[in-house]
Amino acid sequence: MSVRSEPTTPWAVGFGARRLAALRTQRAGAVFLLLPALFYLAVMTQAPFVLTLWYSFHNWILTSPELGHRWVGLSNFRYAVTQDPIFRAAVVNTVEITTAVVGGSLVLGLSFALLLNRTFPLRGVARSLMIAPFFVMPTVNAVVQKNLFLNPIFGLVNWVWTSIGFQRVDWLAVHPKLGIITMAVWQWAPFMMLILLAGLQGISDEVREAARIDGAGPVTEFRRITLPLLGPYFELAVLLGLIYILQLFGEIFVATQGGPGTETTTIPYYVYQTISQANDVGSASAQGVLAIIFSGIIAALLLRLLTRTFRRGLTS
Amino acid sequence: MSAVAQPTVRRAPRRRRPTPAALALNVLTYVVAFIVFFPILWAVLTSFKTEAAAASIPPKFLFHATLDNYRTVFSADYFLFFRNTVILSTGSTLVALLLGLPAAYSLAFHPSPRTPKVLSWVLSTKMLPAVGALIPLIVIYKRVHLFDTRLGMILLYGAFNLPLVIWMMRSFFADLPKEILEAATVDGAGFLRIMTRIVLPLTAPGLAATALLSLIFSWNEFLLAVNLTSANSGTLPVFISGFMTSEGLFWAKMSAASSLAIAPVILAGWLAQRSLVRGLTFGAVK
Repeated sequence: MSVRSEPTTPWAVGFGARRLAALRTQRAGAVFLLLPALFYLAVMTQAPFVLTLWYSFHNWILTSPELGHRWVGLSNFRYAVTQDPIFRAAVVNTVEITTAVVGGSLVLGLSFALLLNRTFPLRGVARSLMIAPFFVMPTVNAVVQKNLFLNPIFGLVNWVWTSIGFQRVDWLAVHPKLGIITMAVWQWAPFMMLILLAGLQGISDEVREAARIDGAGPVTEFRRITLPLLGPYFELAVLLGLIYILQLFGEIFVATQGGPGTETTTIPYYVYQTISQANDVGSASAQGVLAIIFSGIIAALLLRLLTRTFRRGLTS
Repeated sequence: MSAVAQPTVRRAPRRRRPTPAALALNVLTYVVAFIVFFPILWAVLTSFKTEAAAASIPPKFLFHATLDNYRTVFSADYFLFFRNTVILSTGSTLVALLLGLPAAYSLAFHPSPRTPKVLSWVLSTKMLPAVGALIPLIVIYKRVHLFDTRLGMILLYGAFNLPLVIWMMRSFFADLPKEILEAATVDGAGFLRIMTRIVLPLTAPGLAATALLSLIFSWNEFLLAVNLTSANSGTLPVFISGFMTSEGLFWAKMSAASSLAIAPVILAGWLAQRSLVRGLTFGAVK
């Protein structure tokens, strides 16, 4: 090693030539390392989206092959947007549920993060317990909450509820949306917590001390220092949360099947119903395309944020 | 102002004995952590009860533990679904790593003016809703006989985890000092050699976290699984979703099936904790 660091002239010349040649082959090779992944992604994820768009212009019922698949232009979209009352309900429900879940888990996640952003005994254990819900599969979440907790007769929630003197409530029948929202918030608050906690830990002690020396109390410090510096982390947490929570499906599938009526029918659940119960490829595809447009707007905002920060991380 | 004096001045407040307010906050944190974790704990406790004890009011907090539920659950077709889930998540993670590691290497060490665009496109494939791709997948998978096959699901989940692998590993690779790579390149080491001897050993914790996250996502995925599988390649989320309708009010068994289904993932998540935020934010937060 010490020989190489000697700047002897003949060796340095050789080094330059070899280095250039090596770099050139590497660069050509680099493209071949990248292409298989891009090709695979395009085939497996992009091609289906294109096909969804194609199908959405057709009238195609899987169970009636004699009808074939006829080109019908925009009529599937026209039906979904202007006539189909369930689709309209699904859009409203999706917006309501997503907003409530993102908002609820953001508030809870921030509180959790503030509690954890201190030094205290068993901090690691507390943190581990608090992130656990995020790993629970949605169907287990729903099955457990629906039965062990929200069952009107044997559920824990009603046991507590009646012990403190209230009447028994069939939660999922009377407040189905609230039930779904609670399940999802339980799952997503840890996600928000993790991102915001990372943000809180990025705020340097010097900044806090400076604020304290200037006479800021805990409330002022939180409002003037913590919240503004957390800004980009909030943005990231909200956008990522929106992307995932818009796709909420397992909880609804298990806990309410979109009901009662269409109370908890969201766009993903309605697409599922249209394809699996009505076997209507055309309509389901049109709904899928509308869902893509919906998410696409949010995804575009998120992508801008992520590519803006992909070199230097979020710490600004 | 000297460098020696500063640390003692800064550390002084931390050494103080905890104030009553701080102690109260500690207790509050423990209580909140317990409440957050309680549904999981309750499901696990219920899985060791008899059916009668599981559905008793008032709820039984003390009971004779039994392993019967686990025995019954495992003797049913649960094991098939468990095995499918293991095969699908490891298979798809391998596919994603096999394609994603070279791509991440290429993007990290040989960036071109197009790199940001490529990265952004890769990520965009992860952000569009799966329902948008669902219908053609059902139609095509039925036609090419990939419907309800493990191979079909591995190929699909592999693609869904690929963006995660590319983004996360690229961010770990980019943290490596460039000099190491240059030295190896000059010594004539090829991609495979550099990757297996230098890059992967140095980023092993990141690689482990990436693999664990990919396993978790495949393990828990439900929308595609419920629409594209049935008896042959169904996974645990599908099994659980059908449990109540087929088995009626068997809460203890349901809890045993649920606990077994989530235990590996929670353990994997705890193992991946240190790189969790990085993975969930695609490397934006380190």
